[in-house]
Amino acid sequence: MHRDLRLNAVGRRYGGRGPWVLRGVDLAIAPGTLTRVEGANGTGKSTLLRLLARLDAPSEGRVTGRPRTAYVPERFPSVLPFTAAGYLTRLGTVHGLSRGSAARAAAAWLERFGAAAYAGTPMARLSKGGSQKVAVAQALLADPELLVLDEAWTGLDAEARDELERAVAERTAAGGAVVFVDHDPRRLAGAPDATYTLVDGGLKARTGGDGTGLGPHTVVVVRGAAGARLPPDAARLVSTAEETDSGRHRLTVPASRSDVLLRTLLAARPPWHVVSVAPPLDPGSRA
Amino acid sequence: MSALLRYHVELLLRSQRWPAPLILYAAFLAIGVQAGQPVLDSLGYAAAGLLPVAAWLVRICVTGEPPAARAVVAAPHGPARAHLACLLTALLAAAVLGTAATLVVTLISDPASDGAQVRVARPAAGAAGLAAAYACALLGAAVGALTHWPLLRSAGRAVPAMLLGALLATVLAGSPAQAAVSGLVTGSQSGRVPVPLLPLAGAALLAAAAFAAACALTARRAP
Repeated sequence: MHRDLRLNAVGRRYGGRGPWVLRGVDLAIAPGTLTRVEGANGTGKSTLLRLLARLDAPSEGRVTGRPRTAYVPERFPSVLPFTAAGYLTRLGTVHGLSRGSAARAAAAWLERFGAAAYAGTPMARLSKGGSQKVAVAQALLADPELLVLDEAWTGLDAEARDELERAVAERTAAGGAVVFVDHDPRRLAGAPDATYTLVDGGLKARTGGDGTGLGPHTVVVVRGAAGARLPPDAARLVSTAEETDSGRHRLTVPASRSDVLLRTLLAARPPWHVVSVAPPLDPGSRA
Repeated sequence: MSALLRYHVELLLRSQRWPAPLILYAAFLAIGVQAGQPVLDSLGYAAAGLLPVAAWLVRICVTGEPPAARAVVAAPHGPARAHLACLLTALLAAAVLGTAATLVVTLISDPASDGAQVRVARPAAGAAGLAAAYACALLGAAVGALTHWPLLRSAGRAVPAMLLGALLATVLAGSPAQAAVSGLVTGSQSGRVPVPLLPLAGAALLAAAAFAAACALTARRAP
């Protein structure tokens, strides 16, 4: 991202004299961060996301910064005259890819979301879940600098939901910013760098109870050279880290980020040795 | 921008909605234009008919995309550019249609003034007809842009507004389209081929203003 995306005293209302949906919102989205927005129905979550995606202009205040953005809407009715792969290939070129790499990325993302079988299916014949997979895949095609997800998990099957969580972790690890709204409080639990709650059209940063305590965590034991510090890229990902023995570290990481953590450690120079990976534990039972 | 344009062109071609205005325009030409009629008169008729067709093509392009799909496509480059690509696609389609119609009419018509008194050079007549057709396409696209999302949303208001706008743009004195068409019709009486560059420039200016207004509003209206 060239510049942080920033909302300064932003307000939004529809129509000249409509009620304010949002008012006095200050928010900065830095590269490589994951931001969660919460709020009851009708508090303006979708409006805030549209402002961040620069789809909506504020009625007052200023929005600065324009990262390369991809957006996943809440509902994606797919009455478009393309096949799933055809639509994704075209969207890939709109996102700035060449036609060839767009087609390859389309096939790869359909595969990742378990939708490779629908590649040749006309969009109009896709199920709700199938078209949601297409909506999610289009946003991930071109490695956007800012990924805006408005209830993107709704309608996905369990495997695709997990895959999207992993894709979000990869995106933030690669320096992209991700902002999301989801009705499930356990979504990406423990992973967000910041959580905001919308109340009466205003934005409140939610502090406490957000960081390490929530959600399933994977326990990873790794060994590095004696006295070696954890690489900074890895240290950013973990919730807790303790050196249990000389060079031996016990790390807990939000389950959605475990793949990225392992990749980072194995790719580090000198590489770290992975001793064990324990499956996600439920919050609370984590020692 | 070219990827956006390609996307919208394909959306239009696959929409199965373009044949309707095409058939209507063909019927309009079949009724009013016959082989051996004075060329300038027929070209004026063909150009005038293109104006509502251009507005209709804008309607097809703008309403062809559900709001959610529009938001997805708008995210990478901003909604204004995405909407501009949509409007340009309709204009392009109208221009292609106008070019084809002008070519056919120029070739089958009698290269002479009304009453076959003065000869009219076919290439000059064709060029004048093309300029008039483009003026009408531009103005029709401007009418379409101003009578659909983001300015008007419900079809109940958009369609009557579009039809009324197209009618006024065709007949109202001072409209570039009306000037271009009446230039051809009076040219057909005298046998002098008009050069409708001024109406073309006026129509281009109006279309640019209408497109700019519509694109500027994309981020200000509810989706």
